[in-house]
Amino acid sequence: MSQRSITLGILMAVAATIASAFVHPEAQAIPPFARKYNVNCTACHTAPPILNPFGQRFLENGYQLPGTEDGGIIGKKKLGDVTLDDVTNFVGFRMVGNVTRSWSFKQQNPPGAAAGVVQNKTEFTFPDAFTMFTAGTLTKNVGFMVELGHDVEGGTTAVERGFVTFNNIGYHDLAHVRVGRYDPSAFYSYVTIRQQLNDVVESTTSGCTPFTPCGLNRAGLAPSAFAAKFYGLYQRDGTAISPFASSLFNSGGETGVDIHGRPFGDWFLYQVGVLNGANEGFGDSNKGKDIYAMLRFDYAKSNNFSANISGFVYRGYSNAKVQSQDDVNWNRYGLSARATYKMVDIYAAFAVDKIDKTPTAVAGLFDSTATGLTIGADTYVTNKTLISLRYDNLDAGGMLDQRKSATFVGLQVKQFLRTNIAIFARNDFNVRKSEGSDTAARNLRNAFFSGVDIVF
Amino acid sequence: MAMRRRLMTLSATILAIGLAATTVLAVKPEGNRATRENGRVIYERSCLFCHGAEGKGDGPAGWFIGRYEAPHPRDFTSEGFKLRSTESGSLPTDQDLFRTVTRGIPGYMPSFAGLTETERWQVIAYVKSFNPAFQTETPAPLLLGGPAPLASPTSIETGRALYVRFECQACHGIDGRGDGPVSEAGDLKDASGLRIFATDLTRPLSFKNGSSPQDLVRTLMTGLDGTPMPSYAAQLTGKEDEAWYLAQYLLSLSSGSFP
Repeated sequence: MSQRSITLGILMAVAATIASAFVHPEAQAIPPFARKYNVNCTACHTAPPILNPFGQRFLENGYQLPGTEDGGIIGKKKLGDVTLDDVTNFVGFRMVGNVTRSWSFKQQNPPGAAAGVVQNKTEFTFPDAFTMFTAGTLTKNVGFMVELGHDVEGGTTAVERGFVTFNNIGYHDLAHVRVGRYDPSAFYSYVTIRQQLNDVVESTTSGCTPFTPCGLNRAGLAPSAFAAKFYGLYQRDGTAISPFASSLFNSGGETGVDIHGRPFGDWFLYQVGVLNGANEGFGDSNKGKDIYAMLRFDYAKSNNFSANISGFVYRGYSNAKVQSQDDVNWNRYGLSARATYKMVDIYAAFAVDKIDKTPTAVAGLFDSTATGLTIGADTYVTNKTLISLRYDNLDAGGMLDQRKSATFVGLQVKQFLRTNIAIFARNDFNVRKSEGSDTAARNLRNAFFSGVDIVF
Repeated sequence: MAMRRRLMTLSATILAIGLAATTVLAVKPEGNRATRENGRVIYERSCLFCHGAEGKGDGPAGWFIGRYEAPHPRDFTSEGFKLRSTESGSLPTDQDLFRTVTRGIPGYMPSFAGLTETERWQVIAYVKSFNPAFQTETPAPLLLGGPAPLASPTSIETGRALYVRFECQACHGIDGRGDGPVSEAGDLKDASGLRIFATDLTRPLSFKNGSSPQDLVRTLMTGLDGTPMPSYAAQLTGKEDEAWYLAQYLLSLSSGSFP
């Protein structure tokens, strides 16, 4: 870690301590579900956005309290009686911003830098992402969720997730259906969109042409188990797929239909679904639909302990292309586990990505298997201080002349000023040797971030 | 005349059916094995995550409710139930448990009014099976005195004097904001030694035992067992008007909530 990073970290810690002293310690219920049910965020979260078993069951049940089919009646008024104040029971906002980013970056002549320069700089950026979401129940067993995200740096706004749920079809917990654009991994032991260490997107060369390698300047920092893992894989329109981008079952948002339930009691959760696939924001251009199935075993009884293990199979059909523009079937097989005891939350995910048949045009040039391993842990060391650690190992596949494996370790300290307002400092470092090359997986040696995470 | 008679008959019939329906809905199922078994199913779906499989308050999600602070979920096997209408140290009545399940606890436990009344009674029957004392004791509610006197500037001023006399400000602060010196010093602990904060009396929606005048009088008379909030039954028994005055003063601390 550079001297500057250390100084920034110390400044953040001092600022957090001072700010904490001026904040009343009483827990406040702020985000929409907490407002609606008049409970603290921690009724459903271990540390937002990560859910505890109660929150998981609330989500499974289509935003109804576990074991009930309340339809969100709690505090709900008749349509004619609804006031503007009631809207706050359904709408929430999240703003996650890195205030500073400090890169230790070994690539020569990175974009925007003067020739002959190794980028090693600190920059102020705020905010990175702004999300507005609305969710709840329309009536008994019918729920909805819409999440609108704005990427400030990328300048894009999109519906990241938007779906309707039909719950408890048949009998209680037999089948819940989600239709729309949703996170397929929402019930997996390690959920894509619920991370303490937020994704940091990679830096690529601009103006890439379809079906040609797009220069990766700087590696992305995201869970390797969820990542695309392949170099030289393309969307059907020719856009290069980043090997660091969350994808397939772990995409965080795909359009389709999902069914899940617990017909055999509390021990097992099943999930099956069909998706457009093809990594497309909207519509479907691939020849077939992607399908998946997930089974999860839960233990959650007593002693402040819970654990679960889950496995999934994701089968893609013509959901990507290789450099020769041939269609490939891109599949994923994953295992994940999580154990929580009091303040300690440990989770891990391993995934194998497999291209069914390597097209003849790239035979011998393309490794059709790739794996990703992510291990994480969060623990509160005080009532307001959360420490998170994450290890990522990506054994990349794809074009042999492009692929490069990567291993990163990230550590974050998050200080909650209130239950819904936190500041954080984070450092990620590359475990693998630099090799003195410009390869993205190796040239990012160290990254430091500090920022805020606000939900209201 | 005949039309009038028919209307009266119809009205009486509707009223009778309505009353019967209401009575049926409100009927508390018998506390037998079947009721408890139905209650167990509901408990394991809705309550276990915080209260634990054996009702010890050690469910897998429970620890996070207060993290390193009070309250943690209720241990049904132990004593010290907070939300009661009974004497301090006693068990709660079934109605007390029903009220808590129905209303929830602001900030900590959601309302389970989404369960039917029968389901709530069933789960209460199961919860009581965790604690053998429920089999041997018959908790009786304290009598909270006559009807509430009308609030007036005089009654509120009397309530304010009582607030000072009972040293409520030591914990709740002189303005009732929960910032009394004892609370601010971090000296308030619950029965399990966890730090607890005095309630901010200017925010009635956060009152754990309810915020109606009746709720406040009940809290004053019974205290909240397992917390530093004592019962004032000894001081207020026979002086129920004073309990009402104090409740009126407490409600006057939050603007707009004056009864």
